Amino acid sequence: MSRAPVTVATRSPDETRALGRAIGRRARPGAIIALYGDLGSGKTVFVQGMARGLGVPEDCYVTSPTYTLINEYPGRCPLYHVDLYRLAGGGDFEEIGLDDVLYGDGVAAVEWSERLDPDLLGDHLAVHIAAAGGSRREIRMSVHGPGAAILVKDLERSMKEQ
Amino acid sequence: MTGAGRRSQTQEMVNMIILGIETSCDETAAAVVADGRRILSSVVSSQIDIHHPYGGVVPELASRKHIEAIVPVTTEALSKANLDLGQIDGIAVTQGPGLVGALLVGFSFAKGLARVLDIPWQGVNHLEGHLHSVFLGDDPPPIPFAALLASGGHTSIYRVSGVTRFEVLGQTRDDAAGEAFDKVSKMLGLGYPGGGVIGRLAGRGGPERIRFPRAYLDRDRFDFSFSGLKTAVNQYIQRHSEDLADRMADIAAGFQEAVVDVLVEKLFRAAETTGCRHIAVVGGVAANGRLRERLAREGALKGLSVYIPPLDLCGDNAAMIAAIGYHHLWEGRASGMSEDVYSRYKRP
Repeated sequence: MSRAPVTVATRSPDETRALGRAIGRRARPGAIIALYGDLGSGKTVFVQGMARGLGVPEDCYVTSPTYTLINEYPGRCPLYHVDLYRLAGGGDFEEIGLDDVLYGDGVAAVEWSERLDPDLLGDHLAVHIAAAGGSRREIRMSVHGPGAAILVKDLERSMKEQ
Repeated sequence: MTGAGRRSQTQEMVNMIILGIETSCDETAAAVVADGRRILSSVVSSQIDIHHPYGGVVPELASRKHIEAIVPVTTEALSKANLDLGQIDGIAVTQGPGLVGALLVGFSFAKGLARVLDIPWQGVNHLEGHLHSVFLGDDPPPIPFAALLASGGHTSIYRVSGVTRFEVLGQTRDDAAGEAFDKVSKMLGLGYPGGGVIGRLAGRGGPERIRFPRAYLDRDRFDFSFSGLKTAVNQYIQRHSEDLADRMADIAAGFQEAVVDVLVEKLFRAAETTGCRHIAVVGGVAANGRLRERLAREGALKGLSVYIPPLDLCGDNAAMIAAIGYHHLWEGRASGMSEDVYSRYKRP
C-alpha cells in the first residue's frame, strides 16, 4: 500500500505539537509512528502533541527518552515513546522490550527508528521532520501499510474540513 | 525483650554494614558503607570506553557488561573493605529508574545474595541515592536544604527535609541538563560523555559571545526545559558550518552559560521560596566547573551556603545507594522477594 507522501509546513513548535495532537487523536491501538529528523528538529515536540491527542494528562510531562529508551504514558491506550538514538543498530532489541512495545496494545512513537531493521516496524506511518528556516518545519508523512493509510486519510479529511 | 536487649539491638543497627549495588545505567558499582556514613570501599567499573564508539550507552552491551562485572566489582568492594560476605548486615540495591535490562542485573544479584545470606535488603530509588550523596561529604548540609539533581537522565529540584524525606519542586519537561551537554557534544563532533569535553572547550571561549536562549518557563515554578536550547545550538552550527572550527569554543561556552544561568537561578529561587539557607548540587553535572564557580560566587552574595559532594560521589556510585538503603532499613523498611525493578516512575 503506497501513496504519495503528505507534507505539512509548520511555523512554530506549537504548530508541530498541534499536528502531533491530530495524529494522536486519530491513532488506533497498535499504530506505529516512526519519527525521523536531526537532533533538535522537534521529534519530541511532535510526540508531546501525540500524547495530548491520546488523552495523556497535561501534568504528565513527555520527556526525552534518550536515556530511558522507552517511556510509557497513560492515555486512552498506552503511548510508548521510544528513542533508539543510543543504539548502534543490529543490537539485541529484545533486551529493551521493543517487541512488547511495537506489537502491543498501545501506540508507539519511535525516534531514530533508522537504527532498526525496517521489517520490524511493519505497518507504520513514517514522519520526517526537517528544519525549514528558524522555527519552521517541513513535516512529510509517508504511509507504510493499511493502518497508516487510514490514519492519514482521516487526518487529510479533517484538515480539508478546517 | 529486656531494656538491655533493646539497647544492644539498637547498637547493632547503628553499626550496620551495608553492601550497596548500582547498575542502573553506565556503571557497575559496589560499595561497603558502615553506619550509613562511613565509606569503607566504593568501586565503580565504568563502561564509558565501551560506549564511546556509538556515541552513547548501548543497552545490550550495558547489560552484558554488567553481568560480567557484577561479581568482580562486588568482590573488590568487599576485599577493599577487608570484609567477607558473612560480615555484611544488609544489602541496598538500585531498583529504578533506569534501563530495565541493566537494573535487573544488579537487582537480581542483590536479591539472590540477600536470600542466601539471609539478611535484610532494600531496593532504593536511584534519585534518592544521588540526593543522599551530599550527606557523605566531610561537611554535610544542615536540614532543610534545596537540592538540584542534574545528570544525563535527570534534572530536578527538591526540598530535602530529612535523610529519607524529599519533595520534588520541579523537573525537566523535556531533556535533562546532562543530556543537553551530550547532544551538543555530538553536534560539535566531540565525544561521549559530553560534560567534560564541553566544559574544557568552554574554558577557552567567551560565555557572552554567543547568546543562546534561556528557558525560564514560569519564573515562580521550578520546571526546566533544555530542548529549545539544543535546537538553537544546532541551528547556529548549521548556519556557521564553514568556519565552525573557529567558533567551537564560543559555542561551548555560550551553551554552557545558558544551562548554568537557568540551573543557578532556579536553584536559588527554590531555596528562597521554601525557606532554605542551604543549597546542594548532586549528579554528574555537579562536576561542571562553571556551575561550581557561579554557585560559590552568587551563593556567597546571597548568604546561602553551597554543598557539593566529592567528585567521585557526583557520578553514579554504590556508596550513595548503600547509605540511603541503610536509612530505609533503619526506619524499618525492607524489600520482599516479589519486588521488581521499575524503569521510570517510582511505584507508589
